[in-house]
Amino acid sequence: MLSSDQEDLRLLRESARTLFERAGGSGRARKLRDASGGWDSDMIGELAGAGVFGVTVPEANGGLGMGLAAGGVIAEEVGRVIAPEPVVLTIGLSLGLLRRLRPDHPKMEQLINGETTLAVAWQERGPGGAPADATCRYADGKLTGSKAWVVGAAGSHGFLVVAGGQNGPVLVLTEATADGLSVDKRVQADGSSLGELSFSGTPAEQLAEGSAVQDALAEAISDVTALAAAELVGLSDRAFEITLDYIKTREQFDKPIGSFQVIQHRAVDLNVMLEVAQACVREVLAQMDCETVPKIRARLASRAKARAVTAAKKITRDAIQLHGAVGYTDEFDIGLYLNRALVLSAWLGDDVYHRRIWLDAREEEGVAQ
Amino acid sequence: MTDWNAMSDAEFRKEVHQFFETEYPEELRHLPHRPKFAEIEHWHRKLHTKGWVAPAWPAEYGGMGLNAAKLLIFYEEQQRGGVNRGRDMGVQMVGPLIIKFGTQKQKDYWLPRILSCEDIWCQGYSEPGAGSDLANLRTRAEIDGDDFVINGQKIWTTMAHDASHIFMLVRTDPNAPKKQQGISFLLAPMDQPGVDVRTITTLSGETEFCEVFFDNARTPRENLVGELNKGWSMAKALLSFERIFIGSPSLAQNALGQLESFARGRGAYDDPVFRDRFAQAALDVEDHAALYARFADQLKRGETLGADVSMLKIWVTECFQRITELMIEAAGPDGGTVGPLQVGNVSVDVLASFYKARPTTIYGGSNEIQRNILSKAVLGLPD
Repeated sequence: MLSSDQEDLRLLRESARTLFERAGGSGRARKLRDASGGWDSDMIGELAGAGVFGVTVPEANGGLGMGLAAGGVIAEEVGRVIAPEPVVLTIGLSLGLLRRLRPDHPKMEQLINGETTLAVAWQERGPGGAPADATCRYADGKLTGSKAWVVGAAGSHGFLVVAGGQNGPVLVLTEATADGLSVDKRVQADGSSLGELSFSGTPAEQLAEGSAVQDALAEAISDVTALAAAELVGLSDRAFEITLDYIKTREQFDKPIGSFQVIQHRAVDLNVMLEVAQACVREVLAQMDCETVPKIRARLASRAKARAVTAAKKITRDAIQLHGAVGYTDEFDIGLYLNRALVLSAWLGDDVYHRRIWLDAREEEGVAQ
Repeated sequence: MTDWNAMSDAEFRKEVHQFFETEYPEELRHLPHRPKFAEIEHWHRKLHTKGWVAPAWPAEYGGMGLNAAKLLIFYEEQQRGGVNRGRDMGVQMVGPLIIKFGTQKQKDYWLPRILSCEDIWCQGYSEPGAGSDLANLRTRAEIDGDDFVINGQKIWTTMAHDASHIFMLVRTDPNAPKKQQGISFLLAPMDQPGVDVRTITTLSGETEFCEVFFDNARTPRENLVGELNKGWSMAKALLSFERIFIGSPSLAQNALGQLESFARGRGAYDDPVFRDRFAQAALDVEDHAALYARFADQLKRGETLGADVSMLKIWVTECFQRITELMIEAAGPDGGTVGPLQVGNVSVDVLASFYKARPTTIYGGSNEIQRNILSKAVLGLPD
């Protein structure tokens, strides 16, 4: 994987920020939430035009070939404006799987060009879950069974499904409109939805099979987990800015509340938490670009997600407190950030989960101080 | 004269590591207390012969002339190896001030004596009424013929009972319009009738802090460094590098290593609740190191550090405290026991670590003062 130098990343950050701000910043997220809870397909096209989805795809396969650190820059900008488009999902998971297993497949180009979006169905309810002990089966070109917690299920054109096949796990592709597919939507705090998918003889195209599927999935999960951490850092960054502006202007007792020492010290603690999270996640992404051992990449991703969730939870919750009563209203934007943080924290494992995974991995590798 | 800065970082690190690894006396590694000079004199002689007493000083004054990047490496290796800093107040505080603001005569006289430890220095800044509010200091120095006459009291003076000289901030103009004005930087010998030193016993039972009383003590006028009444800004100018050093990860990293082996030996490590708290602490240390690296890179690029570097100190000292608190929890019923606890072939003094962590949030500008600074200088919050 190629990594990018600091100047490339700075330029990328600038152009991503401009693109999102021109599109309406966080105000756009509110409008979309109120309208449908989905995303804006024109925005998908614009993002694709800027090369966003193919950022980590090698140039030979039609991407920018920039590495995960660059993906993290984009993810941070997505987080800052709480954009509902499936950017991290597509970069990390959908293309993360396809580029490893089927870089030749026409869906690659369509995903990079923003012509299609594919959600990834890899988890199942119940013990174990995915993918080795998957109860969702693929045989004779048809899927049977169910999948859970599918992000982006509501707006996607199709699904990449990890299922049990005749020769081990398979990755298959099915269209959203396919026969025998039903999608049960579970509404999330931010207005998005998770899909519970059930298949009864749903036709699907096999893309890959065997242990390669499992390996590619593990790698893609590491990528998307670290990118979700970056999205949380961007979100926390902006939530902190909003809060800082608020405590500088909100007056009580004839003074800005930000002049009170107790408020100042709490704001400093949030700022320190944010800076640590940003340093951690950026370091992790850069290290993942240089690291080839999957287990180490997974440990790094867990470190990033654990820190980003810890920070985002603390920052968005304290942000509500520092806003006082208006923080509890839907009218103020800070609530949108809290809600998005809840959803991103639960996705792919929260801080407690990732600390456990991280410590286990650290022991297994014998990483001692 | 070796040009250390011309070496690659890796080469230099290896060289420093090697020296500390082979030359530093094993029995002095990770000393739990601050040694008196006699205890570490042998090591100091070795360092002096090597020319490594003053890594930050320019080579022309007998230092190593290290740039910021190399200096960080030097200190990192020193801390990693558990190498005692020795009685370095002279090297760290007085020397740089004399180099920057002193006369040629002062340089010629004092600097070689600092390097050889012929003079051993202590720092007289804090007073009973001037802690966080240091500019409130009241110890007076008045001109009397060729001398200054000093009256007043200093406190928390580290190792004053083992020092031959004190460098101090004193009030030379009590009528200055602002309390930061009217302060001067003065050098004085300790061995005289007007100076009385009393040790302070700390919570850990150590006596490294002292009170120093001045009752018509005298020092020659030529021991004024820099201009009269300009001591405050001079002393402040020195703190820039100290602010990243005081936030370095090594204290917390060392404590985490101790906690890990102790908790494993004690069985606490298998407890899921402990495991999560250990993972939190370990990640707090690792992620702090990422932020530290960001500031260190800034220094390496030749940039000056802003006030935001204070966040390193806040984070790492509070993290250090949590780690030592976890050690006490892991000790269970032995958590109140004085002295080393044996676990397998590891011996850990949990109380000593706990006590060592307490003052870190108080010294070098308490963490509350650091938060005040960050809220104003970095976040721009109003008065």
